[in-house]
Amino acid sequence: MNIKRDISTTTLSSFTLSAFFVLTVLSILLQNIPQKLFSAGDSLLKLNSDQGVANAVTTVVVYFRGFDTLGEIAVLFIASFGIGLMLTSQTHGDKNKVKSNFMLQLGARLLFPIIILFGVYVMTFGHLSVGGGFQGGVIIASAVLLMFVSSNHFHLSHRVVEVLETFAGISYVMIGLIGLIVVDSFLGNFLPHNISQLGLLLSGGIVPIIYIIIGIKVGSEMSLIVQNMLQRSDND
Amino acid sequence: MIEGILEYLNQTEVIKTIVILGSMGLFFVGLFGLLSQRHIIKVFISIGIMEIAVFILFIGLSFQKGLTAPMLGDAHTSFVQMNDPIPHAMILTAIVIGMAVLALGISFAIEYYKLTGKNRLDQMNEMKH
Repeated sequence: MNIKRDISTTTLSSFTLSAFFVLTVLSILLQNIPQKLFSAGDSLLKLNSDQGVANAVTTVVVYFRGFDTLGEIAVLFIASFGIGLMLTSQTHGDKNKVKSNFMLQLGARLLFPIIILFGVYVMTFGHLSVGGGFQGGVIIASAVLLMFVSSNHFHLSHRVVEVLETFAGISYVMIGLIGLIVVDSFLGNFLPHNISQLGLLLSGGIVPIIYIIIGIKVGSEMSLIVQNMLQRSDND
Repeated sequence: MIEGILEYLNQTEVIKTIVILGSMGLFFVGLFGLLSQRHIIKVFISIGIMEIAVFILFIGLSFQKGLTAPMLGDAHTSFVQMNDPIPHAMILTAIVIGMAVLALGISFAIEYYKLTGKNRLDQMNEMKH
């Protein structure tokens, strides 16, 4: 890229100068930054003990901000829907497919169940350790991507993905509505969540269940995105 | 001497200054790419770099020295002396949304290239006629 041809020298120098001034002013301001910033996190950490969940980030994502997470899942669904709408409008051709290496095929076949198992583990233990539904779903989608790279005949059944996605979305909303009826709020924790059970797999009430649902939804949607993009690029 | 440098770097002000200046530098790298490149996918990648700069700024500013991750373990059995969990959760949300927007934008770019054969921003002139 020829910088001098694409942008004029005046633009470049004024850009650099303004960046330098901003950095200077910022570093002067930073000299008296407060040691302890005020945050709402301390009160949330106090409330967190009532839920029986070891990972506070999971509680914030699934319980305190559960409604926002529902909206986020909806955004992800709409993005996946848009990609499917854009990229599957033409017929799929099988020309120009390159046969992949033998080592890649064998290694992908060996690694596929292990990666799936790791994704399910990250998803299931999201309330006890690092990880959670989003991370586990993306790991599962990466396993699907590996299979797509290694094999020309691998194909995700649209029917199965649709059923999984619909099941996950509906059960998220249904659990929220049950919480609204049984307890007082949407996504209320109506299952037993005792602090004495902290650290067990079945602790935390609805929090691990909802995170597993999120993992199913994210995994199926990301796999669908991968499939749509790969099918389209095969047409070239 | 190395201990002196490490002790200087371990101050809260120095850590936060490094985080802010570094993330602003990364942001300007992305902004420069956004302004100088004309290829559509390069523009999307530049927007992704700017997003990552904002994530680093947010997480780095919420970090406080001496506090642990907001999670119980063998050594921590109660929710005291822990970092704020809210920025982690918000950045988790923002990463997923950024990924979805990037994938959707790239699919639009692919479709535009399929329809018109153009992949540069300065060649987009369909609305003029």
